[in-house]
Amino acid sequence: MSSKLWFDSIIWVVWLAPFAGILAAGVTRRTNPRIEGDRVLRHDGAAMVEHWTHGIATAVLLVSGIAMGVLFFPALVRGGAPVWAAMNIHFVAVVVFLFGTFYYGANTVLSLRRLREHLPTGDAIEYTKRHYGLLLGFKKFTMPPERKYFESEKMAFIMAAAATITIIVTGFMKLAAHSLNVPASVMSIVTPAHDVATLLMVAFILPHIFFAAILPSSWPIFRSMFTGHVSLDYAKHEHAGWLAELETAQRQDAAEETKPTPAPKRAA
Amino acid sequence: MTDKKITGGVTPSGSDEPGTFSRRQFVTGLGGVGFGAILGGMLVKSIILPDQVFAIPASGGYLLVDTKKCAGCSSCMLACSLTHHGETNLSLSRIQITQDSFGKFPDDITISQCRQCPYPSCVAACPTGAMHADAKTGVRTVDEAKCIGCERCVNACPFTPSRALWNFEEKHAEKCDLCLGAKYWDEVGGPDGKRACEEVCSMHAIKFTKELPNQSATGYETDLRTGTAWNDYGFNGAVKANGR
Repeated sequence: MSSKLWFDSIIWVVWLAPFAGILAAGVTRRTNPRIEGDRVLRHDGAAMVEHWTHGIATAVLLVSGIAMGVLFFPALVRGGAPVWAAMNIHFVAVVVFLFGTFYYGANTVLSLRRLREHLPTGDAIEYTKRHYGLLLGFKKFTMPPERKYFESEKMAFIMAAAATITIIVTGFMKLAAHSLNVPASVMSIVTPAHDVATLLMVAFILPHIFFAAILPSSWPIFRSMFTGHVSLDYAKHEHAGWLAELETAQRQDAAEETKPTPAPKRAA
Repeated sequence: MTDKKITGGVTPSGSDEPGTFSRRQFVTGLGGVGFGAILGGMLVKSIILPDQVFAIPASGGYLLVDTKKCAGCSSCMLACSLTHHGETNLSLSRIQITQDSFGKFPDDITISQCRQCPYPSCVAACPTGAMHADAKTGVRTVDEAKCIGCERCVNACPFTPSRALWNFEEKHAEKCDLCLGAKYWDEVGGPDGKRACEEVCSMHAIKFTKELPNQSATGYETDLRTGTAWNDYGFNGAVKANGR
């Protein structure tokens, strides 16, 4: 096994990845969610690319990073070839992760509405109590009119976003240490911060995988991350608030399109 | 992907007005410029610019060891771990004495000290600059906070056993630093100070020099016996019996 460390020999690819994500967002044309007969377009192609690049890369980063050793866990790979292999896997996942995250970030800059729909609202606690109370079998609770994302998901998004930003900033600083003389006092803060953010990411991704993919009631939403669509019935039951927003928006669009265009003025 | 509404399309001033550009144009431009700058920089660096040359200063000093004087007491190993780690642990010593129980003098004892190589392979192999030549003294040493534990330095050392060691307790590389970083010792270490192994060796089998010894592929032979009281001990019979 070669001792070639890609973090050493092709480090420029990591710096390229964020700009590739930003450029891709600039040339991507998005399709907004809409009702299409008996189904609802929930995620366009760009959303699926954002999600899977970020998600799969996160999983690979966590596995390869923890294998090399996190603050609170022993290194699972011993020195030499296994460490270099783990580092090179980590490198590939870093490139994909940065592309996906910056693709999402740039898409969000282009449409701040998409960020707003990820952020918790004033109904966060009340809706979460009702939703999960009902899920746990307490009949006194009724399903709240959740919007596109459940309020509990939006609260988890805050933690995921904070962890992602910390991991990226500290990761870039660790990367810079390969080329520049970063003081050891800075590195002694950066590395533990990277590791703690990793643990936060684990705390996010494990429940996310359970609630989004393993829980049977979530299988329609899991499928939508591949097909882009959910059924109208599913949207009515689980995301009534979101469906109402889509219906209102589509009614307004239809009204705009049927408005008569003013006749052109004739020259005197 | 169609775009019924161009999301985030138009700045308040309007994208159609001359001299203005939309958020989308800004994002596309930022991504394109960054992408191009990095690719362009890489092309320039790899094709147009000459290869970089890094000059590593020579070390400020070298340990000389004479295996024929060594008694194998391992005091040097204990002193090394004690001064650097505050505990006596042979596995944490940066100088290693190995004894072949079936070997005959003078091949029964090997002293594996760091040779402070003029071209330090360990420094060249380190991806983060943790293994480096100290700016003031030239001593090849590890900045522990920067070590990422890849152990390329351990692999790169041309000698066996590797003079760069893995600290299994603190999870970083370490090596002989001529006691520059001996934090559990009251004495000043380094090329201009003292070295714990040299101070503690009762056989005076370890010496220090600031002159670069003649190196070979297998290291360098040192004679610390000639011209000393060793000559009066009458060990020549043993040496002659082994044909040396």
